[in-house]
Amino acid sequence: MTVRTTDLRADVGQILLTEDQIVAKVAELGARISQDYDGRPLTLVSVLKGSLPFMADLMRAIDLPLRIDLMEVSSYGGSTTESSGLVRILKDLSASIEGEDVLIVEDIIDTGLTLNYLIRYLRGKNPRSLRICTLLDKPARRLVDIAVDYIGFQIPDQFVVGYGLDYGEVYRNLRFVGVLKPEVYGAGDPDAPDGAGETVEA
Amino acid sequence: MESRTPFAHASEAEMARILDFYDVRWEYEPHTFPILWTLEGTVVESFSPDFFLPDLDLYLEMTTLRQKLVRKKNRKLRRLRELYPSINIKLFYARDFRALMLKYGKVALVDGLSGSSGQVAAPHAPPPVIDLPLALDEAPVAAQVSPAPYAAGTTAIVVAGSIGTGRRHRARRTGTPAEPDAETTGR
Repeated sequence: MTVRTTDLRADVGQILLTEDQIVAKVAELGARISQDYDGRPLTLVSVLKGSLPFMADLMRAIDLPLRIDLMEVSSYGGSTTESSGLVRILKDLSASIEGEDVLIVEDIIDTGLTLNYLIRYLRGKNPRSLRICTLLDKPARRLVDIAVDYIGFQIPDQFVVGYGLDYGEVYRNLRFVGVLKPEVYGAGDPDAPDGAGETVEA
Repeated sequence: MESRTPFAHASEAEMARILDFYDVRWEYEPHTFPILWTLEGTVVESFSPDFFLPDLDLYLEMTTLRQKLVRKKNRKLRRLRELYPSINIKLFYARDFRALMLKYGKVALVDGLSGSSGQVAAPHAPPPVIDLPLALDEAPVAAQVSPAPYAAGTTAIVVAGSIGTGRRHRARRTGTPAEPDAETTGR
């Protein structure tokens, strides 16, 4: 059996979004958000772990009185933790959002299942408003149609890593967003041209 | 809900577990839509989407066949959309299922859950055909002759009825898959 060595850059077959593109987009999103909320205080809620870099950059691009909070929800699959068969809030908000303007900050939306759950959960906490901002949107994979208020990039149906996005908890620290080579995850889809059809979501 | 739903395919059971995990209500093959009739009005072909997600008003059809083998299912789906334009349906291809498994760190299981290897041996009774009155005065669609898979000399004709979202139809069965799965932290 061959053990594969991770090579952060060599494992990426194609750079989808350069660092410069991401920086410019984050600044653009920050300006739009600042304008839309027009001086009102805003609470950013980031969903761990993938959205951390985006959150860190976006909050500094927003010119508003800000509060930030972090959530973590369990994701389907894997076997590293106890099985409950239901999504669980692993880390809840640290403060009430009742009456607050809240913006969910996501790294990527594809099926929308996690976000759909999160929206229902947060709406139950009676915020004044609840909007969604995502750096990456992969509409081809959408199961749950969700109105997303701020979208950085719509990306093709490919397995992407970097800028917070991982595969097996690796590659998050890449400064760009790239398409992971199929051989890295050990399964190419013979029907998918150019690596299409392999994707991952926060 | 029944405690065990007799899924026709392992990939369907896996999808049900995913939907359960994210608290999305589902019904398994609750509705069958006629898509082809004889001139006498006998249903000769129908389509039963695998899942209906009532809260999302969405049908979900899964196929784990290789892409080049899904032509027939694509044709049925096109017909369904022509005849029942008001319903929302998404076809989940093998590549979509692989991607989902990859996303959840279960890509190693794909081969066992896909294609013929994922078929459940237990007999799976097809759901009953919905006896829809054809509302020809509402939104009839042009007739279309389809050659296969009927005997030579058989004339088949499609006549569209019209239905709403599907909510008004009785669900055949609902249920939860047998084995809840493990979880891990988000990406």
